[in-house]
Amino acid sequence: MSELKTDKISPRTASGTITLGDSGDTFTVPSGVTLTNNGTATGFSEPAYAANASASTGAVNVDASDNLQFDSGYGSTATAYGCRAWVNFNGQGTVAIYDSGNVSSITDNTTGDYTVNFTNAMPDTNYSVVIECRKQSGGNAGTSCYDQTFVTNSVRILTFQHYNQSAMDFAQVMVSVIR
Amino acid sequence: MKRIIYPTDDGGVAVIVPSAEYLSNHTIEELAAKDVPAGKAYQIVDEADVPSDRTFRNAWEYAE
Repeated sequence: MSELKTDKISPRTASGTITLGDSGDTFTVPSGVTLTNNGTATGFSEPAYAANASASTGAVNVDASDNLQFDSGYGSTATAYGCRAWVNFNGQGTVAIYDSGNVSSITDNTTGDYTVNFTNAMPDTNYSVVIECRKQSGGNAGTSCYDQTFVTNSVRILTFQHYNQSAMDFAQVMVSVIR
Repeated sequence: MKRIIYPTDDGGVAVIVPSAEYLSNHTIEELAAKDVPAGKAYQIVDEADVPSDRTFRNAWEYAE
């Protein structure tokens, strides 16, 4: 193998172009070698956000703690806290899940009493749960629901008629878990 | 779709409803192993075997 040692490579004409090899050639950067770019590098694979030439530097970032941060209209780049699990299910008749994410199943414990089981457990029990219920038309208006039991791999919820606090099944129960 | 049933501590019966997402890459048996409380007997049944009339849901009992 031959070796070329030099301090600088420049095109023969001002603002010219240097071409490395031909189609099919491979250039390998060995382990331990550092390539530093202080100019503009084009044509490399870039994240989708970087493809937007008008995106501000740092609009999307991963900090030292592996937190994904972005400025999506917030006005500053801050950590994004994701919805770690969600489910939308029918609690009436034949109980069934309309759709879900990171939910392995729901357990129908009894009237208005369900457990949402997570596919991947939460890191702790300090997560936040948002629950919303929708009735079918007619009947007594008003619903309420609240979280009963938090554990890392599931959350148990109860759904009620608001006006008398009696347990009730709803046509649509929506649960989101934020952490 | 299948359901998993098991007896509750108060003499009732719990019904596990699988998500399509989970069953897309797991079996119903794997779900039972994960979501049925440890030590509980359980059965895997057809969805049609679970009553859709929930008027007396609190009175449902687990039959071996």
